[in-house]
Amino acid sequence: MSDNEAKTETGNQGLSDADPADVDGSPDALAMMGDPAMAACPQLMYKAMRDADPVTNVDLGEISMTMVWRHEDVIEVLRNPEVYSSREEAVEIGQKRPLIPLQIDPPDHAKFRKILDPLFSPKKVALLEDRTRALAADLIEKVVDDGTCNFDKAIAEPLPSTVFLELLGLPLERAAEFIALKDGIIRPQATADKTDTDVRDETGARIYEVLEAVVAERVENPQDDFLSGFLSSEVDGHRLTPDDVVDIGYLFFLAGLDTVTASLDCMISFLAQNPEQRQQLVDDPSRVNAVIEELLRFETPVTGVPRITSRDTELGGCPIKAGTTIMVMLGSANTDEEFWDGGDDVDFDREVNKHLAFGGGLHRCLGSHLARMELRVVLEEWHRRVPNYSIADGVELNYSAGLRQIDNLQLVW
Amino acid sequence: MKVHINRELCQGHGRCYALAPEVYDCDDDGYGIERFTDVPKQLEDNARRGANNCPEDAITIEES
Ligand code: HEM
Ligand code: SF4
Repeated sequence: MSDNEAKTETGNQGLSDADPADVDGSPDALAMMGDPAMAACPQLMYKAMRDADPVTNVDLGEISMTMVWRHEDVIEVLRNPEVYSSREEAVEIGQKRPLIPLQIDPPDHAKFRKILDPLFSPKKVALLEDRTRALAADLIEKVVDDGTCNFDKAIAEPLPSTVFLELLGLPLERAAEFIALKDGIIRPQATADKTDTDVRDETGARIYEVLEAVVAERVENPQDDFLSGFLSSEVDGHRLTPDDVVDIGYLFFLAGLDTVTASLDCMISFLAQNPEQRQQLVDDPSRVNAVIEELLRFETPVTGVPRITSRDTELGGCPIKAGTTIMVMLGSANTDEEFWDGGDDVDFDREVNKHLAFGGGLHRCLGSHLARMELRVVLEEWHRRVPNYSIADGVELNYSAGLRQIDNLQLVW
Repeated sequence: MKVHINRELCQGHGRCYALAPEVYDCDDDGYGIERFTDVPKQLEDNARRGANNCPEDAITIEES
């Protein structure tokens, strides 16, 4: 592939930092994913892969999987859970039992969602908005007079963690401990005598301990919180056992914190670097939902989701064996120009935006309504107080791959 | 114009009722429901907008 092909129409969306020349020859998906410039602008890598090798087999001994890049193929995988299973083997994240409902296939999946969906419905989420707004305002007020902050550490990380701990009814005094535990799973730091996997498994065991203790306590003493709510819900005669509730809690640790953090980081980073588009939001705050949906699409903070094939199959003309791990690249589907008009342009007036940033099919993000509320509240409260800001001079933004958190999002205003 | 949400396909993304609340509502679980089967003339654009933005292609519109 020539450099030319890899170049996308760069408008004002900040793609220009990455060097498409890095993507020459036959694109190497894993090498690209390890490249910091690509982590900042993965849209370039997505395009390169769609053009060159849209169903990519990656085999490096320990890591072997098939990556799926085109919108059409991504939809095919997400909508066919009987072929593309979410069962536990699809990904190892320190769990000892399948995570509920993420690693449950039909028909059991629906039983759990029936219990969980009403707890996360837009109506329920609306009840949390005032409290979330107060939390956001508080965090922003703490830094507003400083003229600078690391947005990730000051706002994007503490806000969802606090909302989440309150929601589940976990003690806020232990917030730091819980955040460290979650990081141990998502970003395990290998040490001299421990591998990533050891750290992850140990952290996992510790999270189970904490949750088991809290759940046992709620069985004895129900409170007005989600864990107690889970324990008492019943649908079609089906009740959650304490183990089920622990398995749900474990998933929430992994699904409900960094995802919102990464989304906030990606959005603020984009708006910091694109003042004209930021101005559209500042001039008309009622456009906040359109801004959120478009940036969820373009940035896709959760870049991919895993599946495992239940039988031999074929995808995009490519044979795939039973038992193959599939990485479904949502970010690539969300910018595929075969599907989107100007997929690499950020356009807050986009008429059609059916993005897959929250996944699709029956595992559609349970927390999507909660996440949208958190994102909206933060963008509203932030821009009300800090309408003009930019990235501090000399900062090379450090996007993590996979889940696109930016741990050094230093802003100045 | 008639509008119909396929309950098998709807996964509760909520795009329809967020973008066109005049035509679509949500149930207690967050899944979409049609407020009408026969859409009033003045709401036809709203109905189309909701349908076009459904990530599951769950909404069908029958133009009259
Ligand atoms: C902007 C923030 C978020 C993003 C981008 C996001 C993204 C996703 C995606 C892509 C999936 C699909 C996984 C798959 O198909 O394998 C998912 C599932 C899930 N998410 Fe989120 N998420 C976010 C926030 C949250 C929050 C705040 C919660 C709160 C608890 C949450 C809970 C869940 C759960 C429980 C599932 C599994 C659903 C199922 O398997 O049925 N997420 N999320
Ligand atoms: S947009 Fe589609 S999937 Fe979402 S609630 Fe409406 S009909 Fe259901």
